[in-house]
Amino acid sequence: MIDKQQIFIRRRIEAVAGLLVLGLLLLAVRAVDLQWVQSDRLTTMAEKQRYREYTALAPRGSIYDSKGRTLAESVEIPSIAAMADEVPAERMGELASALGLSKQQVQRKLGKRKGFVWLARQVPPSVAARVMALNIPGVRHEKEWRRYQPLGPETGHLLGFVGIDGKGLEGVERAWNASLTGESGLRQVRRDARGHSLPDGSWLREPVPGQSINLTIDATIQSIAYAALAEGVRNQDAKGGSVVVMRPKDGAILAMANWPGYNPNNFRHAKPGQWRNRAVTDVFEPGSVLKPFSVAAAIASGKWQADSIVYCEQGAMKVADYTIKDDHPEGWLDLTGIIVKSSNIGAAKLALDVGAAPLYAMLDRAGFGRRSDTGLGGESPGIVLPLDRWGPVETANIAFGQGIAVTPLQLAAAFSVLANEGMYVTPKLFADQENKPEIARDRVMSKAVARQVKSMLEYATSEDGTGSKAVPVGYRVAGKTGTAQKANNKGGYSKGKYNAVFAGFAPVENPELVIIVVVDEPQKSIYGGQVAAPVFRHVAESALPYLGVAAQRGPQTDWQTMEVVAESPAFEHESLYGMSMREVRRMAALRGLRLHVHGSGWVSRQKPANVLALNQGDAVEVWLNE
Amino acid sequence: MMATWLRPWLAVPVAIGILAAGQIWMSHLRYELSLENQRVNNDQQETLQLISTLRLELANLTRPERLRKTAQEKLGMAPPKPMQVVHL
Repeated sequence: MIDKQQIFIRRRIEAVAGLLVLGLLLLAVRAVDLQWVQSDRLTTMAEKQRYREYTALAPRGSIYDSKGRTLAESVEIPSIAAMADEVPAERMGELASALGLSKQQVQRKLGKRKGFVWLARQVPPSVAARVMALNIPGVRHEKEWRRYQPLGPETGHLLGFVGIDGKGLEGVERAWNASLTGESGLRQVRRDARGHSLPDGSWLREPVPGQSINLTIDATIQSIAYAALAEGVRNQDAKGGSVVVMRPKDGAILAMANWPGYNPNNFRHAKPGQWRNRAVTDVFEPGSVLKPFSVAAAIASGKWQADSIVYCEQGAMKVADYTIKDDHPEGWLDLTGIIVKSSNIGAAKLALDVGAAPLYAMLDRAGFGRRSDTGLGGESPGIVLPLDRWGPVETANIAFGQGIAVTPLQLAAAFSVLANEGMYVTPKLFADQENKPEIARDRVMSKAVARQVKSMLEYATSEDGTGSKAVPVGYRVAGKTGTAQKANNKGGYSKGKYNAVFAGFAPVENPELVIIVVVDEPQKSIYGGQVAAPVFRHVAESALPYLGVAAQRGPQTDWQTMEVVAESPAFEHESLYGMSMREVRRMAALRGLRLHVHGSGWVSRQKPANVLALNQGDAVEVWLNE
Repeated sequence: MMATWLRPWLAVPVAIGILAAGQIWMSHLRYELSLENQRVNNDQQETLQLISTLRLELANLTRPERLRKTAQEKLGMAPPKPMQVVHL
């Protein structure tokens, strides 16, 4: 009995021991399975549970003007998102109301997919606070960067704008997107058992903020240019316009404005066509503002001098089967007269005499027909025919600005050549570029030629010239007006559609500003001198004092005098009777007199009668007859 | 009396206990420090944000067009003519 009992106990012990061994064996197998076979998968799962990774968006770099004023800045603002399948249907009404949306709109957004959906992006902080106060399951508060441009429409075309995902879509924002965009960071944080983040997180990749950039633009001059253009366009019921203000010494672009503007902070409210920076993307036929370069080419050829005279065919001249006309028929004009009276025939005759190649070379060196390398997207190179297509008609036309297309920026760079005594300086938009040693400086024409053309351009803004309305009181301006018929889609010219242009620089003695004004389709007047010149004056008279360029005081008030000599007068005659226009001009230049000329040929009448009694700066009027 | 329970072998668990407590205290300190660090970082970020926003507000308030409008409409001022500007 006892034996049986002992055997039973022993078997039970053996069975239990066997089961324990089996259990231990199974545990060992499971341990090997978990620690060895499934190790990687389980480690990953555990880490996913313990750790969470966040993407931290880096702010976009700011854009500043030349004086460090903010032109564009990114600020963090809230957005509202949701895990669509976690939002209770019965709370959609109050969510919609807090967001300022209809219930149907919220339902449609949440119905798009099951996971993460945006409900409202970049909302005011008060709206985000209202929504989060509702404590609705699944609704999340996210942070995003939003771009603001405090100057709004004034810098809209130039700076462009940034999309909701922080990518530059137009203008400077697009051209320099890579530098401005920051690099987002990745942060890993540990989570506790309830899923709350523990504070000892670490950066897997630190966010790198975008680089800030400094432009050469001056916010004050930009604002002045925009306001002046807006007023000029409104006064003329024009379609639009552009203004470029450039410092000729170093090519710094101080202002670039277009009208009509749009608000880049709300860019979707404008049509895509209105986003273009027309000062660099759109080309136009410059018309008479190109004549100074034709005259420069003629003087540079050595065949012509400033006082050489050209017969302007009394207003009509045939070249091949094409007739060139002048608005104001003229007889004999010297080169200054061609600029002052804006004679197409005079400019055409000079070009035909000099030949196509020198004129083409002059225009090419002055920057026409190629991009100016500012880096702005969509910049047009303009249209300059290849030299082999320059026949007599083309040469004659281009000499007075037809058959060639330029951008306002190209025109600014080209007029800087005249202001810089013949040197071309590449336009610069980025302040960092200003001090680069490789800044392009090429000689386009000799100093002497540039000075002579500058002097002629100053005449063009005298009371006799077409650009008299461009002159602010107290400053001397050199400039040229242009009135160009707009080309149509059929390869001809539109009837009644014109561009009015004024291109010039001030002050003449030490040019600080080159200003280009283009007014598109003015209605009340079509002439550059009536439409664009007042805009030039408005910009110059506000910008020059701001830049510290003092107005001249004293006997010279609202007029400019051609400063030539301070030595004793070489001219001793009382009367100018019988003199040629060239002699009269030389006398006026020597004596520093302001000259008003009527007609051509030889002097038949003068006012006042005794020119010896005149002082420097006084006016003398002469009438010439053939 | 004291000596009866103050045996040498007790030093080991006591040392382990002290080390464990020290470890827990250190861990707590690390947590607190990291919490403080996070708070300071957040403060720094918020301050940078505030600077950014204030800079933007300043740019908005001092934009030339607004100043011009305020000067003209509220103060009855007009832009000076070049001859009225004196550079000293």
